[in-house]
Amino acid sequence: MYSLILLNGGVGARIGADQPKQLLKLRGIPILVYSLITANRVKDITQIVVNYPPEWREAIEELLEAYAITTPVVLVEAGDSRHSSVAAMLPHATNENVIIHEAARPLASKADFEALIADEHANVSLMTPISFTVAPVDPETHEVTGSLDRNRLRNVQLPQKFAKADLQQAHDKAAHDHTVYTEDATLVADAGHPVYFIEGSDVNFKVTTPTDLRMAGFLLRPEEEDDD
Amino acid sequence: MTKTALVTGASRGIGLETVRRFIHNSEDITTVVMFARASEDFDAAVATLQEEAPVGRRIIARNVDVGDRGDLKKAVKAAYDEVGNIDILVNNAGYTNPVPLQQVKMSDFEKTMNVNVYAPFLIVKTLLNRGNEFSLIVNIASTAGINGRSGWLSYSASKAAVINMSQVMREELAIYGTRVVCLSPGRTATALRRTLAPEEDPSTIMQPEHVAKVIETFASPIGRFIDSENVVVRQ
Repeated sequence: MYSLILLNGGVGARIGADQPKQLLKLRGIPILVYSLITANRVKDITQIVVNYPPEWREAIEELLEAYAITTPVVLVEAGDSRHSSVAAMLPHATNENVIIHEAARPLASKADFEALIADEHANVSLMTPISFTVAPVDPETHEVTGSLDRNRLRNVQLPQKFAKADLQQAHDKAAHDHTVYTEDATLVADAGHPVYFIEGSDVNFKVTTPTDLRMAGFLLRPEEEDDD
Repeated sequence: MTKTALVTGASRGIGLETVRRFIHNSEDITTVVMFARASEDFDAAVATLQEEAPVGRRIIARNVDVGDRGDLKKAVKAAYDEVGNIDILVNNAGYTNPVPLQQVKMSDFEKTMNVNVYAPFLIVKTLLNRGNEFSLIVNIASTAGINGRSGWLSYSASKAAVINMSQVMREELAIYGTRVVCLSPGRTATALRRTLAPEEDPSTIMQPEHVAKVIETFASPIGRFIDSENVVVRQ
């Protein structure tokens, strides 16, 4: 069984709204709700730990009630960064395995979660191939310092699953080393635990900008709108 | 997988015929909850259905005036507690009192909206709030909701609202994989039609079982291949 750590603490600075982006409406439904409903339907997820931006707890509680989320939910106030939020949410997870997801990826499907859970390894992330070239550079001099083989690179997505003990140990180590990570698959791998990936989908993108919001809405249209 | 259906306005007409078809013809609908106002007709219809129901079919009849919001909400909660998830909902109950615009009483307009618009909405909302996941919702509208008819202001307006509300439900409930069908029958030989057109010979127009057959098709496995945007059924 899994505890879902649902990252929902962003304030949406890049999307430019007067409310957290995960409460903005995507085809009339708050973005956060997509992840809650999907998680609620995955039977192996028996607990949801969700964080919230300061002052937005009541709004989140209203959504949980209105959408009848039956999986037990623990609410945790968001930290200063994603890294610190995960660290603060992790002790609330009651299962030995956790899944990390973020509300800003509303198009992650039940099948994505189930594929992750079905994988034999303990620490696994959805990832997609890189379709463009990433160059290592010196940001000070603007000099290109070499090349990277994109076959050995992956775009890290969520959801990801981890043994709670591995994730906890990796966070403890990062805290000890004063290192901050932007996501957890590389954090856990750097701590010495094996982490694997399975193929993600380009549909499961992160909604960050107003254009992303429109794109996601387009993808959620009824299919017949594409008919001749 | 066995399914449970809830049909409103189930004492006669399209509602009763729909229940009959679900009970006799559906391979997976094993429980049908019938909502209708208390009447001798309803009691008799339920008794007949229970006599003729195949083994293993469960019929639960409840006296409910869907125009009474308080009673309706209680009845929906009680039904959910009793039978569990409602997979198929047929919002069929309807009301009309056709009078010229100058004679429309606000109280009657409100009753029309209560029965035709607010009741379907309240049933869906109440069940969603309880965690119910529908596979199919059929909202019965009317061709009079597509084009307004002289003398039918409140009825036409209410059915136009049903058509629009169904489109919204269809989009919002796609997140659960719920199909929402809006069905707009044309002239059908029901008690409501007799109120709208008392001069008409009911034997010359579409019969309730014809519309029920279409609803049965939507509830069958083939139903998901049919475009469910406002479907007009007319003779």
